[in-house]
Amino acid sequence: MPDDDLADEASQLTIDGDGNNEINFTAKRLAQEARQTLSFGGGSGRGIRDVTEEFAAAAKQLQPGQLVKDEYFTLFEAVGALEIMDPKMDSGYVLPGDSLEPDFDVCKGLPAGEVLWIMDELLRLTVVWHDGYPLSQTIFTSLHVDRLLSPDNRAPYGFSYGDTTLRVMTTEERLVHLVLRAYCIALVKSCALVLHTIQSQNFYEEEDFVTHLFGRELLPEIGADDAVKLIDEAVSVVEVAGVDEAMRAALFERLQFARTYLSLLVDESTDWTTLTATRLLAETHNLAQALPKAFSDKVQRQLATSTPPRPMIAISWDEALQRWMSMCADIIEAERLTDFDVCQSPHGLQRAIWAFAYREPQPNTFARAYLQTLLFASEQIAEGMAFFDLMLADIRDLVLAGDVLADPHSFLIEIPADPRHKCSRVVEAFMDKVFDEYMNIYRMICQNRCRIRRTFSQSIVILDRLETEAMRADAELSSITPGTILPNEGGSKEVGLNPLTSWVKYYKLQIMGWSIQLGFETGIYLPHELCMMYWYLMVFAQRKRKLLEHVGRFLVARRKHLASSRSASQDVEAAASREWLVVLHRQADFTESLSCALWQLCELLTTLEIVKPPKRDHAREQLLYDVRMKSYLGIAHEPIPTLEEYKSAQQSIPSIDETCEGINRAIANAKSCLVVLKKTTPQQGKYVGTEEQWRREIKQLETTCVAVAVQTSQLRRVADKHGKQSAGREHGLKGLVEVSIPSPGSRYHGWWVVPQIKERKA
Amino acid sequence: MSGNSKHAATDGPTETEPPPKFTGELNIRYISYGSEKESPYLPAIRQLISKDLSEPYSIYVYRYFLYQWGDLCFMALDAHNNLLGVIVCKLEPHRHGPMRGYIAMLATRSEYRGRRIATMLVRLAVDKMIEEDADEIALETEVTNIPSLRIYENLGFLRTKRLHRYYLNGSTAFRLLLYLKPGIPYKPTFPPEFPAESGGGQGQGWMDEVLVERQVVRTGVEDVYGERFDVAGR
Repeated sequence: MPDDDLADEASQLTIDGDGNNEINFTAKRLAQEARQTLSFGGGSGRGIRDVTEEFAAAAKQLQPGQLVKDEYFTLFEAVGALEIMDPKMDSGYVLPGDSLEPDFDVCKGLPAGEVLWIMDELLRLTVVWHDGYPLSQTIFTSLHVDRLLSPDNRAPYGFSYGDTTLRVMTTEERLVHLVLRAYCIALVKSCALVLHTIQSQNFYEEEDFVTHLFGRELLPEIGADDAVKLIDEAVSVVEVAGVDEAMRAALFERLQFARTYLSLLVDESTDWTTLTATRLLAETHNLAQALPKAFSDKVQRQLATSTPPRPMIAISWDEALQRWMSMCADIIEAERLTDFDVCQSPHGLQRAIWAFAYREPQPNTFARAYLQTLLFASEQIAEGMAFFDLMLADIRDLVLAGDVLADPHSFLIEIPADPRHKCSRVVEAFMDKVFDEYMNIYRMICQNRCRIRRTFSQSIVILDRLETEAMRADAELSSITPGTILPNEGGSKEVGLNPLTSWVKYYKLQIMGWSIQLGFETGIYLPHELCMMYWYLMVFAQRKRKLLEHVGRFLVARRKHLASSRSASQDVEAAASREWLVVLHRQADFTESLSCALWQLCELLTTLEIVKPPKRDHAREQLLYDVRMKSYLGIAHEPIPTLEEYKSAQQSIPSIDETCEGINRAIANAKSCLVVLKKTTPQQGKYVGTEEQWRREIKQLETTCVAVAVQTSQLRRVADKHGKQSAGREHGLKGLVEVSIPSPGSRYHGWWVVPQIKERKA
Repeated sequence: MSGNSKHAATDGPTETEPPPKFTGELNIRYISYGSEKESPYLPAIRQLISKDLSEPYSIYVYRYFLYQWGDLCFMALDAHNNLLGVIVCKLEPHRHGPMRGYIAMLATRSEYRGRRIATMLVRLAVDKMIEEDADEIALETEVTNIPSLRIYENLGFLRTKRLHRYYLNGSTAFRLLLYLKPGIPYKPTFPPEFPAESGGGQGQGWMDEVLVERQVVRTGVEDVYGERFDVAGR
C-alpha cells in the first residue's frame, strides 16, 4: 500500500455520528501516527535496527533487583498492565487443549426447540444485564449476537455474509436466519434504547450499570422500526414453518414479546402492563432444548477489554422472569407516581419519589432512569407545571401561602415601580441560585441508596451557603416592602418571617435529618454511636419543629389579615398551608420524640456498659467526632452542637427508673403524633398517590414505638430482678444483659434502629 | 480489580477445602519490606494476595506500591521465613489536602488466621504512617467482612461511606477513616483533575473520585475474614 493510502486509510477510521469518543480519539491518533511515521522517515530512513547492544548497555547500569520509576507512571498504568501468558490476565492465552475461538457455526440451521432455548437464554441474559453486569458477560456471549455485531458485518446484518439469499433454505435454516436473527436484532436494538435512556439520566457507571460496549456498535445502520419489520417477517415464517402447534405458539409468544419490548422503549406512551404477561413464556419454556454451545465467554477475546474472559453470571430462568416482572411493575408504578395529580404538589411528588425508591426489591437502574426521564425529560414536571412553578409552589406551600410575594401573578407585573415587580425579581434571582440544588433533591432520591446518603451529606453545606443568599434576598425584600414583624417566641425581641431563609433552612434541616437516618439504614454507625446520632437527630428535628412554629405564627398573622381583605383564593391557600404545617410539625415532633426515646435508651445502655465502644488505641474522642460529623461541621448558620455540648447533655440523665420513665413519656408523645398523622387526609398531608405507603409507614412507626417501649420494660425488668432499678447507673447491669442491633432488613423501619435487649442466661 | 470477597473465593474454580488450621507453636516475626530494592519476598506476597482474586494484579501494581512505600509494607514470617501475612499501603496528599495513608492490601494465610496476625500488621502500618506524619488513614473493606471491620474498628476507624457494588464481583464496601490530627475536616481539598476520556462515563454517568479510584485500582484486597470475632474483640 502506498504511503499516502496508508494515511488516508487511517484517517478514515474516524467514525462519524454521536458516538464513541474513544474510538474517534484512537482513530485520530492512529491517523496522526501514520502521518508522522511517513513524514519522519519519508520512506528512505525506515528499516529495522538492532537495539540489543544498546539495551544491554542500558540494562547494565542497573543493579539486579533495582527498580526505576518515572514520575508519569501512575497507578492507572500499573493496573492496565498485562502479563503475557498468564491465563488470568492475557486474554489471548489459550489453555492447552482449548481453542482460541468457539467451535460453533452460527449459520447452521437449528431445530425449533434449540432456537427457542437461545431466545430464552437471551432474555435471561438481558435481565442479568439490567442487573448491572456488562454486555460482555451477558448478551454479547451469544455467538449469534456476536456475529451480528462483528465489526466486518454490515447492514442488513446477516449471520452469513450475504450468500443465503438466493438459496432455498430448510425449515431449520429459516428458523435461524429469519426467526432467531430477527429476535436477536430486536433485542440488540432494545439494548441500544435502554442504554440511551440510562445515559441521558444520572446514574453511577459500574456501581449501577455498565454502559461499556467493548468497541462494538449496536447495529447502527438499522433502526428500531426495521427491527420490528423483521419480527413481523419472522412471524410469517413461523406461521408456515413445519413445527408443531405448541412450538409455533411458543415462538410467536417470544417474537411478540421482543416486538412489544422494543416498541415500549421507542414510544413512552405505551403501556408496560402488556410486558408483564410472561406467564406464557414461563409455560412454554419447557419446550426449549438446551444448546449451551451457542454461547461462549470466548467472544470476550475479540472485545475491546483488557480483562480476560470472565464467567457468565448464573441466575435461573424463573428468577430472571421474576426480576423482569418486577422491573415492568416498577416502570408502571413510575408512571402512576408521576401522574398529573401527584405532580401538583412538590411535597407530594417528593413523597412519591421516595415511595418509588423504597419499593421492594429496589428498582433497577433502568427503572430509575425511566422515572427520571418522566420527571426531567421536558422542561416541565407535568402539564402546565414548569420546574420553576414547582419550586415556587414549594416556597408558597411552606412559607408564603397567601402572600403576594410568592403569588405567580406578581411575577407577571411589568411596571418597574411596582414593589411586586421589584420583589419578584429578587425572588427570581434567589430561585435561580437555588434551582440546581433544589432539583437535585428530586434527582438524588432516584439514585441508589448509598448515593442518596452521600449526595445528601454533600448537599448540607451547599444549602448552608444558599442560606446566606436567602438572608440577603430576605433583607432586600424587606427593604422594598417591610413584612410583618412579630415578637419573638419568648417575647423579648421582634423578628421577621424571613421567608426564603426559613425555606432554605427547612430543607437543610430536613436533609440533615435524612442523612443521619440513611446512615442508620446503610449500617454506617457502630452500636455505641447510636446514642450520639439519635441525640443529633433529635436536635435537628427540634430545630425543624421550632422553625415550623416560627413560620406558623406568621401564617396565622397573615390569615388574620387575609380574612379582613376579600381575597378568597389566597385565604384558601393559606388555610391549606396551615393544615400542611400542622402535619409537618407533627412529623418533626414525632422524629424528635422517638429519637429522644432512643437516645435515652442507647445512652442508658452505654453508661450501664451493656453497649461498649471497642478499646481503641488510636482513637481520640474529638477526632472520632470530627470523622463522624464531618458533613455537618461546615455549617455556618446555626452550627451543630459541639462535642462538649453533646457530652454535657448526657450527664443530666438520672437513675435507670427515671430514664425509663423519660423514654416512656417520649414514646407516648411520639404515638400521639402518629394518631394525628393517621387522621390526616391525603390532601392535608400531601400524600396523594402514595396513600398506601403513608399508611404502611405509620404502621411501621407505630410498631417501632411499641418495640422501644417493650425493650425499655425488658431492661427495667432485669434491673428490678437484680434490685438495681433505683440505683445509680454506676452499679451497672454489666454481664446481666446483652444487646443486639437488628440489621436494616430486620427492622420495623429501616430508618430506626431499636436495640434488642435480652437477659443473659447465667 | 476484584473480588477480595467471599464470593470470589467461592465462585472461583480454585475453591477447594480450606487447609486445616495450623495449631502448633509459632514464632512470628514482623519485618518491613523496606525500600532498598525488589525483595525476594515479592513472589510470595503476590501469591498470597492473589490467592482469592479472580483477576490478579499485574506485577506493576505491586511494584507501584512497594517501590514508593516499601517502608509501609509489613510482612509476617515464621521461623523458616515463610510468609504468613502481608500489608501494603501508600501515603500521599489526598486531593492536595490532608496527608492520607491508604491501606491497599491486607492478607493472611488461611491456616494461620485467628492469631491476630492481621491486627498486628495493621498496627505496624498505622504506627509507621503516624511516624511519617499522616493526617488520616483510609481504606475500604467489604461490608460482610466482619473480622476485617473489627480489626479496624478496634483501632478507632469509623465507617464513613457505604460504596454500592464497589468490587467487580458486585459486592458492596464500607469506606473506613481514621483521623490522626485535629482539624482535618477543615483542611481544604480540591476536586481531582480527571482526564476527560477516562472511562465509560459518557452520557451523564457520574464520575467521581470513587469511580476513578475504582477504575484505577480496586485495591480492596482485604482478605482477613479468617480472623475470628473474638480475636479482635477484647
